[in-house]
Amino acid sequence: MDDFKEFLVFLSQFDYTHSKFEQILNCVGDNPTLKKFCKTKFDEKVLSKEHFEQMVNLADKTMVANYFTNLQNDDITLLTKYDEDYPEKLRGFYDAPFFLFCKGDISLLNNPSIAVVGTRKPSSYGKMVTNKIVGDLACAGITIISGLAYGLDSVAHRKTLEVGGKTIAVLGSGFNKIYPTDHAGLAREIAEKGLLVSEYPPSKTATKYTFPQRNRIISGLSDGVLITEASFKSGTILTKDFALEQGKNIYAVPGNIDSNLSQLTNDVIKSGQGMLVDCAKDILDDFDLDEVKEKRKIDYQLSMEEQIIVNILSGGAKEFDQIVKESGINTNLVNSYLTTLEISGIISRLPGNLVTLN
Amino acid sequence: MLSKLSSFALKGIEGYKVDVETDVGNGLPHFEIVGLADTAIKESKERVHAAIKNSAFDYPIKRVTVNLAPADIKKEGSLFDLPIAISILACNEENKIKNEKKYVYLGELSFDGGVKKVKGVLPLLISARQLGYKKFIIPKENEVEASFIEGIEVYPVSSLRETVDFLKGEKEIEMVKTCKFEDIVKNEYMGLDFSNVKGQHVAKRALEIAAAGGHNLLMIGPPGSGKSMLAKSFPTILPDLTFEEALEVTKIHSIAGILDLKEGIVSQRPFRSPHHTTTTIALTGGGMHSKPGEISMADNGVLFLDEFPEYSRQSIETLRQPLEDGVITVARNNQTITYPANFTLIVSLNPCPCGNYGSKEKECTCSAAAINKYLSKLSGPIMDRIDIHVEVGNVTYQQLKSEEKEESSQTIKERVDRARNIQLERFKNEKIYCNAKMNVPQTRKYCKLDEDGEKILRNAFDRLKLSARAHDKILKVARTIADLDGSENIKASHVAEAISYRTLDRKYWQN
Repeated sequence: MDDFKEFLVFLSQFDYTHSKFEQILNCVGDNPTLKKFCKTKFDEKVLSKEHFEQMVNLADKTMVANYFTNLQNDDITLLTKYDEDYPEKLRGFYDAPFFLFCKGDISLLNNPSIAVVGTRKPSSYGKMVTNKIVGDLACAGITIISGLAYGLDSVAHRKTLEVGGKTIAVLGSGFNKIYPTDHAGLAREIAEKGLLVSEYPPSKTATKYTFPQRNRIISGLSDGVLITEASFKSGTILTKDFALEQGKNIYAVPGNIDSNLSQLTNDVIKSGQGMLVDCAKDILDDFDLDEVKEKRKIDYQLSMEEQIIVNILSGGAKEFDQIVKESGINTNLVNSYLTTLEISGIISRLPGNLVTLN
Repeated sequence: MLSKLSSFALKGIEGYKVDVETDVGNGLPHFEIVGLADTAIKESKERVHAAIKNSAFDYPIKRVTVNLAPADIKKEGSLFDLPIAISILACNEENKIKNEKKYVYLGELSFDGGVKKVKGVLPLLISARQLGYKKFIIPKENEVEASFIEGIEVYPVSSLRETVDFLKGEKEIEMVKTCKFEDIVKNEYMGLDFSNVKGQHVAKRALEIAAAGGHNLLMIGPPGSGKSMLAKSFPTILPDLTFEEALEVTKIHSIAGILDLKEGIVSQRPFRSPHHTTTTIALTGGGMHSKPGEISMADNGVLFLDEFPEYSRQSIETLRQPLEDGVITVARNNQTITYPANFTLIVSLNPCPCGNYGSKEKECTCSAAAINKYLSKLSGPIMDRIDIHVEVGNVTYQQLKSEEKEESSQTIKERVDRARNIQLERFKNEKIYCNAKMNVPQTRKYCKLDEDGEKILRNAFDRLKLSARAHDKILKVARTIADLDGSENIKASHVAEAISYRTLDRKYWQN
C-alpha cells in the first residue's frame, strides 16, 4: 500500500459526502499522505476543528493497516476514484461516489447491465412482468442492478439468482447494517453469486437521505434503467431523474391507466422520456445482443387436462374458481394439475388466488 | 348431636367426595363452616338459615358447626347448601329424617326453600358413580343433564321441604329416566350449510380435507371474502360426536356453566370463536376460580381465531402445548389442573393490516414493512402446527347470484366419514385416530410415496422454495387426500394437491 492509497483508505472510514472528500483532498495539496493531512490547516467550512481532531486521532499507520485488514477479512474490496478497477461508467459524473465498498465479483461492474427499479409494493401484474422481463434479460447475460429494497427490487434480484444470472445490489447503508433486515439472507446470497455495492463504510446505518443518494449509483452503474411499475409517490422517480441527467436509456412497462401503480411508467412513456417495452427483446435490441441465448427449456409433456388449463390461461391470468368452472374439472384435480404445471415452470400462482402463464 | 352426609366437589373436570359433617351442640347460638370454604360457601349459612326457616322447620337455637372434609382442599361453589341444610335438619330427631346417608346431595338453596341449579352436575355424577355411589339427590333444573348416565338412581328435587318429605318416606319422587344419546343427536346447525357458500372451491376442498384428517387450517384473504362463514360452516361436515366425546364435552361445558340445561348434553361439536381481545387466561383456563378456558370449551370441536395476528403474541404461543398434547395444564397458586383441549384450530387473517394486499380491485395502503410485521406473528412454532394454508379470494357479484348448485354439507360429510373410518382402521393399534396426529415415525410408516410422488415433492422443494417444515405436513395432508379418494397408496396427484395447500410457505408472499 503506497502512501496515497493509505491516505485514501484512512479517509474511507469517515462518513462524508463525495464533495467533502474532494475539498479535503484539495486542501491537503499534491501527493496527499497521512502526515501531510495531520499538518494541514483546514478552513472551518471544510472541516471543523472538532472533526479534524477526531480524524487526527485515527491517523495512525498501524490503525489504518488494521482497518484495511479488517475490510479484507470481511471480503470487502475498497474501490476509490483513483483505482483502475473503479467502474468507468461512474467516473465521468460530477457526483460520482468517492469510495465504493464492494463485496463479491467486482468484474460485474463493467458488464452490460440494466437497472431494474420499481415500487416497494407491487401488484401481481408488476411482479409478473418484472419476473418475466428480468428472467429473460438475465438469461441473455445482462447484469441486473437494483437496490435490495422491498418489492420489485427484491423480485428482480431473486429472479436473476433463480435463473443463474448476475446481479448487483446497491445499498443505502453499510454492509453491516443491511436494510431492510429481512433481506440480510438475500444480501448474503448476492454477495456470493453477484456483487454488493455501497458508498458507505460498513457500520453506516441507512437514513432517509442515503436511499436517494444510492439511486444515483444504481442508474450510474447501469446502461439503461427499466421501470416496471411505480407510482408518482415512489422513490423510483428519483432514479429516473438521475438516469435522465446521466443520459441513460429509460425503459418503461406500460400499465392500466387506472392503476396508481403504473402512473410513473405511463407518464414516462407519454412524455417521451423513456421507451415503451413489453418484452426483454425490446431492450436487448439496444444492446445488439441476441434475444435470449439459452432460455430454459420446458421439457414437459402436457396431459390432456393440463392442456385444457393452459388453454384457458392463454387469455390472461384467471382466478382459481374460474378455471374450475371453465374446465369442468374437479377442484381437487385442478389443484393437483396446477401444482405440476407450476413445478414444470409453465404457470405461476399469485396472491389473490390468481394463476397466470409464465 | 352429629350428622354426616356425602356430597361432591370439582377438581378440574373430575369430582371428589366431600363429607358434610354437622355438629349441633349446646352453647350460644352460632353458625360456623370450617374446611377451607370459599366466600360462596361461607355465605351459604345465610341461605341455609333462611331456607330452613321459610320451609317451616325449626332452626336450632344452638351452636352449629359444619365441617367440609377433607379439610385441606379449597372448595368453591354453592352446591353444598342442600347437604348442609339436610344435615342440620337431620340432627333434630323431631324431623324424623331417615336414610339420609344413602344419598349424595348437590344443590343450592334460595331463601324461600327452593333448590336451584348448580354447575358441573354431570362430571360430579360420573365421578361419584366410579366411586360406587348409586343414589343422588340433585336440583330439578339439572335433571336432563343427569339422564345420560346409566346405572344410577337420580332423584330431582325442587324444594327443601320436598327433599325432607322424601327422606321421611312421606313423598315419592320419580327417578330421572335414562335417555339414549343416539336419540337426541341432532344435526342442526342453525341453517349453516356449505351449499350456502357460493364459489370458494379451493377453500371448501381444503376444509373438507381438514375435517377428514383432523388437520389445523389457516385461511388468508381480504375482508368480506367469506372466511368466517366458511369457518362457521365447518362443524357441519365434521363426523358426529360419539357418546364418550359428548360426555367429555358436556363435563367441560357443565363446569364452565355454558351447558344448555334443556338439552342436558352437548350433542354437536362445539364451535368456539373467542374475540381477539380475549385474555390468555380466558383462552387457556385457570384463574382464581379455576374454570376451563375457550380452548377446552372447544374440546372435540373447533376453535376459530378470526383475525389471528391481532391476538396477543402470548395468547398465540400458549396454543402450542395444547395443539401438541390435546390437554392444557394450568398451575395456579393452590392447585394444578388439567383440562382436555383436543380441538381443530382454524385461523383466519387478512393478507395485510388494511386487508387489500393482492386484491385486484382495491389498493393496499400498507407499507411493505407493515405487511411483513403483520405476517411475522405467524412465523415459527405455531405455523409448525398448522397443516393446511388456503387462500380465500374475493367473491364476485355474479358468483353470489349464480344459480349453480353447490354441494351440501351432508354430501361432504359422507366423504369425510368414510375417510375417518379408514383412519380408525389404520390406527387401531396406534393410540391415535386421525392423520393429523401422526408423529414422525408414524408419518414415515404410513405415508410412503412412490417414485412419481417423490419426484414431484423433490421438484416442488426446488422450484417453489418450500420451507423444510412443509415436508411432513405435505405427507400427512397427502395421506388424508388419498383416504378421501379411497386409495390405499398415496399417488402423485395426491402429493401435488397437498403441495398446493402451503400458500404461506411460498415465496410469493415475500416482499
